[in-house]
Amino acid sequence: MKRVIVSIDGAGKIYHLRGLGRKMSVAALSDFTLDIFEGEILGLLGLNGAGKTTVMKLLTGLIFPTSGKVSVFGLDPREPRAKNSIGFLPELPYFPPHNTPYGALRYYGLLSGMSGSAIAAALPVVMEKVGLAPHAAKKISEFSKGMLQRLGLAQAVLHSPELLVLDEPVSGLDPLAIHDMRALISGMQAEGKTIFLSSHSISELEKICDRVIIMAGGHKTLSVERKNWETAPGALESLFVEAVRR
Amino acid sequence: MAGALGFTGLLFFSSRSRPASPFPPPSALREVRHSAIEDMLALSLGARRLFADLWFIRLMQYYGTHEHIAGEEEEEEEHGHSHHGLDFGAGNYPEFMALSRHIAALDPYFKNAVLYSAGSLAFNLNRPGEAAELLNYALVNTPREWKFLIMLTAIGYSKSSEPAKVAQIIAPLVRERDCPVMLKQLAAFLNKKAGNYEAAAVIYADILQTSKDPFYTLNSEKELKMIEKRLK
Amino acid sequence: MKYLYTARSVAAETFRESVKNRFFTVFAVFAACAIYASLLAGVMAIEEEARVLSDLGFGLMELMTLAYALFHAAMAIPREMETKAIYLVFSRPVSRPAYMLGKAAGLYLLGAFMLAVMAAIHLSLLSLRGFPPCAAYFNIVACIWLKIVIIISLALFISLFSTSPVSTMVISAVIWTLGHFTPEARFLIEKAGGFSGALLKGAAWMIPDLQLYNLRDAPLSASGGWFQVFYAALWALAAYGASVLLFRKKEF
Repeated sequence: MKRVIVSIDGAGKIYHLRGLGRKMSVAALSDFTLDIFEGEILGLLGLNGAGKTTVMKLLTGLIFPTSGKVSVFGLDPREPRAKNSIGFLPELPYFPPHNTPYGALRYYGLLSGMSGSAIAAALPVVMEKVGLAPHAAKKISEFSKGMLQRLGLAQAVLHSPELLVLDEPVSGLDPLAIHDMRALISGMQAEGKTIFLSSHSISELEKICDRVIIMAGGHKTLSVERKNWETAPGALESLFVEAVRR
Repeated sequence: MAGALGFTGLLFFSSRSRPASPFPPPSALREVRHSAIEDMLALSLGARRLFADLWFIRLMQYYGTHEHIAGEEEEEEEHGHSHHGLDFGAGNYPEFMALSRHIAALDPYFKNAVLYSAGSLAFNLNRPGEAAELLNYALVNTPREWKFLIMLTAIGYSKSSEPAKVAQIIAPLVRERDCPVMLKQLAAFLNKKAGNYEAAAVIYADILQTSKDPFYTLNSEKELKMIEKRLK
Repeated sequence: MKYLYTARSVAAETFRESVKNRFFTVFAVFAACAIYASLLAGVMAIEEEARVLSDLGFGLMELMTLAYALFHAAMAIPREMETKAIYLVFSRPVSRPAYMLGKAAGLYLLGAFMLAVMAAIHLSLLSLRGFPPCAAYFNIVACIWLKIVIIISLALFISLFSTSPVSTMVISAVIWTLGHFTPEARFLIEKAGGFSGALLKGAAWMIPDLQLYNLRDAPLSASGGWFQVFYAALWALAAYGASVLLFRKKEF
């Protein structure tokens, strides 16, 4: 039995929006339950607005659950030890354009509590791993979308976390870049990392994930393992359509 | 809560310890030439000194501009500012006092402007009453300023037409490094009028060495040559 | 220890980002304005050239540092939230108080650096014209910096609840101008009585007395001292405390 490293138990999240003289509440997540097992690649599939990013932000301590419980490695996601064990790649990560990749990674390494010498040792390895070594001398303003996404992955793995949380890692990438990103993610799993990624692209999750959770309207509607969608008529797509329309 | 209380307490303590403002209240600033917005800027940007400088430049330009009186011939204007302190500088210049007082209200510590204005009013424009009023106004904020007291005394003696006495009284002012050149010019002229040519020559030589205004330096050269001839 | 380490990293990054952002154009503009002003002052002020040059230089230094630092203070946190760069920060074990301290420290450092460079340009210009700097020169520059520290701290706090960076800058600029009116406000409060007097008194407490730091305007006998430092530290700490309170529960 594999170790459960993330446990989301009945979590809910309500966003309160304030307008001119009025207040609106939006339930982005309701009674959401999820376990992530060590070493797996778990996909989170849903349409835009399904609540995928909300789940990711709950895991990384960027937002707090309105109800239910979230634990990462048995800790509250806000705890420093929990955060140190996670590497997060947000959708379309932003880096200051005047900076160099080394400069940006050095900063995030320091924030992760790494020492200067540890960062100096890790930087060339990580840059090589994500395929950015030939572009190390460039400014970030010169980077393409694919290169920015690689840099985002680099900052997520720099401090050697056990869990990678990737929000739409192939969003906006060309087919070659998607292929390279897929290879990187598989490589990370081979190193023993657990990967949790979200996407609204069924084909991408099909190719890489061991298990997929389907979300709709802030709820978990289906959890399906690889062996199940590989044998299902219509594969993951038909399961998704059925789950979303339910 | 503890932090808020602590801050309030410390702020209260600090408000008691704060030194009083060294400047007169805004009500002391009387509007001149539609200066209301500029005065607001001077106060709100904490730039009293800078705006006082600008007003002083304006005052010098005003005084340096020939007054057009109907019937008089047009004189060619050579320079953009005043070169008085000789027997030039006469005229009405009705805004002179208002402008000078405005500068003193903005920056009461702008000593040279007060001395320049008081000297011009008393000795060139023949308005010793206004000069004394200006100096007394400036003394409210700087009661220990000996230069103003000396000027007041000099103005007092000027009324009794004693150029030698006036020259003697303002001598300490003239020795100061930052004394307005107009006052030095005046002192030299008074000494020359009283027959103290050596004293006048010393002052003209000082003007020649320290002033950057070519009008004063050229005039000093001319005067020094005349005094040299006289003393030979 | 980790708190200070994190704050130092954030401060260094904040400073670096601000410096790279069309930074040196500001100095070039300052130098150009100072040189132009010196030529004008030479022609128009003649005997008061040293004074005009000094006053213009201090005025320009203060306004340019204020404008630039305020711009960055207003944008510092909202921009990171808008671009979601803040996700990369708080998905890491970064404490919010440390982050706030780092942001503030980076901006204080920016102000100090700008003033140092502009003071060097100003002193060179004065030296070229043959004028020695006044005895209180470095005190004046230090007091300008303390003023900037207070206003940046308040701007950072305001940026946490303001609707846009522009409104943060406007509110901070209003506080700046009101801060120079504090002695006059005290004078008016003493004259006013009743409800309006009480209201004015309360309002006066919420505005820092920036006239305390106006050594460039003050009589030559005045000098900066422990009280100015204490007062600035008090306001900076209060703004920091309020910012941390507001920021601790913020979600991204």
